Amino acid sequence: MELAAAIFVVLLGLGLRRLLSGYPTTSRSYRHLRRREIALLRAATDAMFPARGAVPVAGADVDAPGYVDTWFDVLHPLRRFQIRLLLLLFEQVTLVFWAPGPRGWRRFSALSLQQRIEVLRGWYSSHWFARRLVFTALRSVLGIAYLGDPATMRFLRVAPYDFESPVLDADVLYPPIGQGPDAIVYGPEDRSPPSDGVPIDLDSPVHPDYAERPL
Amino acid sequence: MSVQLTDPAELLAMRGRLRVFAQYDRDVRESADVVVVGSGPAGSVVAYELAAAGHDVILLEEGPPFTPREFALEGGLSMARTMRESGLRTTAGSIMPTMQAICLGGGSLVNSAICVRPPPTVFDAWSEMFELEHTTRAELDAHFDAVGEFLGIAPTPEDVLGKRNTLFRDGCDALGISSEPIARNVRGCKGTGECFTGCRNRAKQSMDISYIPEALRLGTRVFTSVQVQHILSEGTRVRGVEGQVVEPFTGKRSYKLHFDAQLVVLAAGCMATPVLLQKSGNLANRSDQVGRNLQFHPGIAVAGVFPEPIDVQFGATQGYQSLEFLERGFKLESLWAPPAVMAVRTPGFGHELLQHFSAIPRTAAWDAICSTHRSLGTVRARRGATLDPALRWHLHPDDAPLLREALHTLARLFFAAGAERILPGVARLSPVMHSADEARVLLTEAVQGRDLVTGGNHVFSTTRMHGRAEAGVVDEIGRCHDLDNLYIADTGIFPRCPSVNPMYTAMALARRQAHAISDRL
Repeated sequence: MELAAAIFVVLLGLGLRRLLSGYPTTSRSYRHLRRREIALLRAATDAMFPARGAVPVAGADVDAPGYVDTWFDVLHPLRRFQIRLLLLLFEQVTLVFWAPGPRGWRRFSALSLQQRIEVLRGWYSSHWFARRLVFTALRSVLGIAYLGDPATMRFLRVAPYDFESPVLDADVLYPPIGQGPDAIVYGPEDRSPPSDGVPIDLDSPVHPDYAERPL
Repeated sequence: MSVQLTDPAELLAMRGRLRVFAQYDRDVRESADVVVVGSGPAGSVVAYELAAAGHDVILLEEGPPFTPREFALEGGLSMARTMRESGLRTTAGSIMPTMQAICLGGGSLVNSAICVRPPPTVFDAWSEMFELEHTTRAELDAHFDAVGEFLGIAPTPEDVLGKRNTLFRDGCDALGISSEPIARNVRGCKGTGECFTGCRNRAKQSMDISYIPEALRLGTRVFTSVQVQHILSEGTRVRGVEGQVVEPFTGKRSYKLHFDAQLVVLAAGCMATPVLLQKSGNLANRSDQVGRNLQFHPGIAVAGVFPEPIDVQFGATQGYQSLEFLERGFKLESLWAPPAVMAVRTPGFGHELLQHFSAIPRTAAWDAICSTHRSLGTVRARRGATLDPALRWHLHPDDAPLLREALHTLARLFFAAGAERILPGVARLSPVMHSADEARVLLTEAVQGRDLVTGGNHVFSTTRMHGRAEAGVVDEIGRCHDLDNLYIADTGIFPRCPSVNPMYTAMALARRQAHAISDRL
């Protein structure tokens, strides 16, 4: 009985160590993400979108943790929980599906780049529908973060254009979300003619949020 | 009709009739002739028409109003802000994503503004199968016309189609398939392709800038951030509704709300209205049809890569369609969505995935919506104070050939339009196909239902209308068979899927219903 208890305590300690310890601190603060989630997102984005690919924005250049943290601000609590489970699953998946190569049982974020790629390949090409489905979920999260990055959008020429919105009666009626009528930006005098239907100039500048910023 | 106020005093009065989250500081008790639950296309039309007829109306919406300053320009964040369950809702059974908006104006804020009048045959089938004598195209045409005039519904102009749409037309022409520009509730489209994230041009006549301001002007009181949780009833009559204030995005609940009414109209959407009935003591369900008969138009999309850039960012979001195969059970459309959303179905990972992404400037996506009448499901309430449903739906094996035929037709269209390759998005098949010959496999049984990536944003029939009380939830004008003064006005009342985009039909039916209600009050 005592031996069983001792084994349990040791296993628990090892489990907690694997789960929690050894993650690097981050220079910026995140509202929602934990260090292990940040590490997983960076490691998976790096493997999913490698450098020197057909799009010259590498996963490592994209702030996937920042995107997901912002996303979590408005994400439905149940869905946020599910995404967290997904991240946890991939971080610990090597407990069951070892990565090829030395020490393939380490956490996903601790694996070498080549090992991480091989782990992802295993899930992508699995014969099990459920594994492919889970992989698709992870790829979707990372893909949204990657394609939502301003540099990626500029390269793909899909960054939103910059233009003024007409001010209609509705804009004079509705306050910013979370604020009262006192915060309504426009008055009746600010109303402008509705859209004239002239097609947007394809050479229009991109929206400031997506414009290239000087270093 | 786009509102242009001239009188600031009237504007202040309108502002006074709108309640937003920040204004609630205590429990609320109000009363009106009619309470309308849900501000999507059907609910807004009902509210406006009843207000125009001189009735005292309260319109309730769980989401907040959005203005262009609040639109997230990037697809993932936009969906999370404007959709229930952050846009990540799926069915169980055959797994399929499906969305429902949570914002003033409902789905009209973030849809492609497609307005299609179903052909008479659709209504003929409804009439025959569900014993609906007066739901014919001829009887509804006056309502279609009125809604069309109000919203400026017109075919997409040539100069804002863009190549994504004209290539679709080219493909149809090459194959001898009829096609047409899509009629939309849009005035002054500039072709910025932002329908899904909210039209910053304010060209799309979504309910929040069209019917709802007009309803406010006519005296309707609009309460946003209100989650209706219970319908109050006594015998065969309802007395009103109860609910709570919910904070935008977080859904945190606070003050209680109570609305007394002579008559209640539920327009909370096909996936929320049955939940509300179930949570209100299984109301209006003697037929046992509430939450049953769930149908979708499963949508399948194919991406095609062209030799040259096609300015994907420019053009109406969905500007061209073909109704050629409507009788066979599917409708073809051009499609655009933010790349982050489209990426969900892009195959591969690593360098292969980036190769596909790099072709986005040359890639168009076209889709087919399918009338899978045999594929049914259910909507059930979950525990707790939420209207988010538990959805179960199964793609019937006999509907799979229809999806295959639609998929194959899309593939043929792309190659006829000059695409150099397509991404059919079918599991277990080659992710890339280079010729129409190669794409023939899409017609074969090598493609099973579960191999297809489908999406179902048109949802129907969970409170279906039927001429007989024992076979449906509502009658022909949307009144619950079991209750004197409870009506339903969303796509849940469609007796089965209409084969075309449903918003226009929902609005026409809602207008007819509002006139019938007005005659009763």
